[in-house]
Amino acid sequence: MPKCTINGKEIEVKDGTTIIEAMHHHDMHIAHYCWHPGLSVAGVCRLCMIEIEGMPRVQIACNTVVTEGMKINNTSQKVKEAVKWGLDFHLINHPLDCPICDQAGECGLQEQYMEYGKYDPEMAEKKVKKHKVVDLGPTVVLDSERCILCSRCVRFTTEVSKSNELGIFNRGDRSEIGTFEEKPLNNKYSLNTVDICPVGALTSKDFRFRQRVWYLKDAETVCNGCSTGCKVQTFFNKEGLFRVKPVYDKEVNGYWMCDDGRDLYKFVNREHRYLKASHREGSGWTQVIPGAAAKEAAAAVTAAGDKLALVLTGQYTVEEYEKIVSIFSKDLKTKKIYHWLNNKETVNSFDGLLIRGDKNPNTKGLLQTLQKHNISTAWSELESGLASGAIKTVVVAGPENHAFFKDIEEKVQLFNKAGTVIWLQAAKNPALEKLSGNAWIIPMKSYVEKDGTFINHAGQHRKFKRVTTVVSESLTLGEAAELLAGHQIMVKPESNLLVEADRQADKVTVEHRKKNEFVFKRGAL
Amino acid sequence: MEMKLLTEHYHKDEFRRLDGYKKFGGYEVLKKALKMQPQQIIDEVKASGLRGRGGAGFPTGTKWGFLPKNNEPRYLLCNADEGEPGTYKDRLMMERAPHQLIEGMIIAGHATCSKKGYIYIRGEYNYIILIVEHALEEAYKAGLLGKNILGSGIDFDLDVYAGAGAYICGEETGMISSLEGKKGQPKLKPPFPAVQGYLRKPTIVNNVETLAAVVPILRDGAPAYKKIGTEKSPGTKLFSLSGNVVRPGNYEVPLGFPMKDLIYKLGGGLRPGRRLKAVIPGGSSAPVITAAEAESATLDYECLAQMGTMLGSGAVIAIDDSQCMVDMLAVLTHFYHHESCGQCTPCREGTGWLNKVVHSIVEGRGRLQDIDLLVKVADNMKGRTICALSDAAALPVLSFVTKFRDEFEFYVREGRSKVKGVSHAQVHH
Amino acid sequence: MFQLSQAGKDKILKELNRYEAKESAIIPALYIAQQENGGWISDQVIERLSEVMSLPVARINEVFQFYTMFNKKPVGRHHVQVCCNISCALNGGRELANQICKELKVGYDEVTEDGRFSVTRVECLGSCGTAPMMQVNDKYYENLTPESAMNILRGLK
Repeated sequence: MPKCTINGKEIEVKDGTTIIEAMHHHDMHIAHYCWHPGLSVAGVCRLCMIEIEGMPRVQIACNTVVTEGMKINNTSQKVKEAVKWGLDFHLINHPLDCPICDQAGECGLQEQYMEYGKYDPEMAEKKVKKHKVVDLGPTVVLDSERCILCSRCVRFTTEVSKSNELGIFNRGDRSEIGTFEEKPLNNKYSLNTVDICPVGALTSKDFRFRQRVWYLKDAETVCNGCSTGCKVQTFFNKEGLFRVKPVYDKEVNGYWMCDDGRDLYKFVNREHRYLKASHREGSGWTQVIPGAAAKEAAAAVTAAGDKLALVLTGQYTVEEYEKIVSIFSKDLKTKKIYHWLNNKETVNSFDGLLIRGDKNPNTKGLLQTLQKHNISTAWSELESGLASGAIKTVVVAGPENHAFFKDIEEKVQLFNKAGTVIWLQAAKNPALEKLSGNAWIIPMKSYVEKDGTFINHAGQHRKFKRVTTVVSESLTLGEAAELLAGHQIMVKPESNLLVEADRQADKVTVEHRKKNEFVFKRGAL
Repeated sequence: MEMKLLTEHYHKDEFRRLDGYKKFGGYEVLKKALKMQPQQIIDEVKASGLRGRGGAGFPTGTKWGFLPKNNEPRYLLCNADEGEPGTYKDRLMMERAPHQLIEGMIIAGHATCSKKGYIYIRGEYNYIILIVEHALEEAYKAGLLGKNILGSGIDFDLDVYAGAGAYICGEETGMISSLEGKKGQPKLKPPFPAVQGYLRKPTIVNNVETLAAVVPILRDGAPAYKKIGTEKSPGTKLFSLSGNVVRPGNYEVPLGFPMKDLIYKLGGGLRPGRRLKAVIPGGSSAPVITAAEAESATLDYECLAQMGTMLGSGAVIAIDDSQCMVDMLAVLTHFYHHESCGQCTPCREGTGWLNKVVHSIVEGRGRLQDIDLLVKVADNMKGRTICALSDAAALPVLSFVTKFRDEFEFYVREGRSKVKGVSHAQVHH
Repeated sequence: MFQLSQAGKDKILKELNRYEAKESAIIPALYIAQQENGGWISDQVIERLSEVMSLPVARINEVFQFYTMFNKKPVGRHHVQVCCNISCALNGGRELANQICKELKVGYDEVTEDGRFSVTRVECLGSCGTAPMMQVNDKYYENLTPESAMNILRGLK
């Protein structure tokens, strides 16, 4: 465990640690572009310069292993000169795209420029022209002129996704990132390349030109796309959520997340949500306030007596399951609680990196709760119960990310046999129009609007906090359970940050953006 | 004058073939070497003071000594990429005496305990590749390569690999990358090739001339080799003389030979009515020296290093007073810009920037601050990159501007060449 | 639609087994394919090679684009490469290249109308003692003057 001194501070590191890793772990600031802790070392940006006592030339920190007694500093004049020129070389052919570039506000070049830049440029020659707006695939766009050829994206497709789509073609300052014509960047992890690109060369087609990053707040939560449960960072403002990026979680997802998980924010924004409850009796649907709808539905629930069934998907938090299962089994005295698993054949599939076949984030949590309350049922019992008429009322806690549940229409037909269906769901789904008989659709809170715990496939518990509130009248599963059981509770719509936004409170400070690896401090103008 | 330690029999056609090579003592040294222990050979080469003849001048015996003392398979690579402008000695050696190189490689392979060697020849040398491949066939047939060479129990396999046109593949790790089937981009050092090189195994990379020199060293012994040349630069070297001399060619002379004798006596001097203006002593990457400096220069590593330049590959390019130095610098900056591999930012952007600035001067659009800008940019490209191409691109710029500043200033002020009288826009790209 | 000949495929398979790393065969394979495709390499050629060698197209394309000797555009039957580096430039190499273009009535990196010649300027070919010089396809022609160069070229069919 060698000890070294970095900028006067003595630290101890594990054998084989490089200087940049040591500085990264101890939150010390060092400029870098091509190094990434989840990828191999390239050493091509030449920006992570440090001075080591005893060596005449400046060295790079990403490829130098710490040895006992090393004295390192990156604050001397010599190092600053080297970094300044390193940055200058990056900028001489970089286009002046800041006004139209998505990366502005979280751009490695901007941040370094504010710290070291020359305000009087000396480059008076014509810049190298390359391809702009290159369609790399269904989700990513490339701008070759902005690219600083750090090779992070190439290393990603070679080492992490192992799909080998990207390469650096040509030589010298004519080099360009690209794909081959017949093989576009089209794997399930493509958008990670946009995250790791330090500049605006790779941009997401989904996020392009939609919002400036300084108008976005961010908060961490857990993805609800599958049972892996990657830790993510959502970006939002009063208009809704705009994008999702992964956050490092050593045990669960490392540095990455899949593309499917990124799209899930779309099920959360207002345009895709049920804003009011609906009730069907006969032919038409009437709109009702969710709390009131739940109270009305409570009558049907109590009337059902023992002909009541509860169907749960693995999409809700452990706390919610505890609430609803204990209410239904104790207060409503029904043991007919069923687990809706839509894909038994593929549920255990795993693509080797992050994507799992079980598209529910909390199946383990659900099963654990059911076990705790001694409920063990089989789906076939529900089917036979519906067929025979032993079940007349079904309460369904539907899937939020319904795009992955291919069997919703089939299930709607099945539940219709009961006669009374109370469907609890957050995201709008046209398939639910087909509910017949006496039906309610009651809007639920999405995963970003509540605190809770998910248990992932490996049994790891992950707590998350509420990010924001999108539809304030929607209910949590626990609240819905209370109301359906006839309990009188006060459902207080929380202050809807999105609607009552106070501009001052909404202002994004550097603290919010600090999680971006290139944002160190605000430069002084 | 000339001392033909290596090139003694090059003029004989039969020397290329195995029978001819053997006739003049070929492969006798191999027999002797196969009876020695690997460490003995390394010690002998160390004692001889042989320095790498490719450009860096690193002591060969020391380099071989860096190999780890374990049973890891290691590789011996011969760098026949010869891309340094002005250099064409390896071409001569492989054309006239392929077996000399092969013998040297087998001995070096035995010394470094390598079982496999590759000769990386630049792709443009098509006919050389055929000659060397043919020589390898002859050697295999005669039991000089493959398993149990000449009954010694030692195995060594040798093969040729053709490059495809990239100067950067002359850099040792660039060559290793190219041999591994990737782009010829140099690798980060550490780890050094002797520890982790080709396919992550210990690898020794040596120039053609260095490997061929092993033969006379073992034949005559290290003390005899050390007697030739100077104390710190022993032995002979092939110098590729070119430029504005009457008799350009490859001349093998002992190190320490006076540069003016090479140019005027062996090279036949300059064309009538012309005087020497500048000399590039070691291939285009070596800083240029003025004619006055060349008067007192001797061709060895120390003297030239002391003058602020280097012996490099030994390509001596003589420039007479009819040439415009700014124009010649434009040729060189174009070369480095074309050949930069593009991996690390200072070189990739810097070579482009230098090229653009010099070209704007020769097209008559230069500004006075451009001259100082060239110096600043070149200064900040040195020592900050993965390989030395950045330094190689920066040094000519620094030396040309420092030593011939008057020509640059004239060009900027007047928009035309001091020497030629016109701007060279029409000749350039 | 470019297809490799059986002989070409056999040669490439031989190269795949010749070196320790499979990827090392990419450069020899590109040479073989370039010859079969009339002196240059197109996207289709890269795809065929990727199939035959079972290597990702991005890796083959990277190597192809990196090296100068693989032609990215069609070339003439006789691809004339004139050295314009320092020793040749000191001996009139660049003027020679200009003269050749003028005589053949073709621009740099272009092909003559009859497809016979293409002219390009290249860096040092290792023939500095016999400057100025040129390489046509595989052969070196050294110690040139504008007249001798044109005589040689006119003699090439």
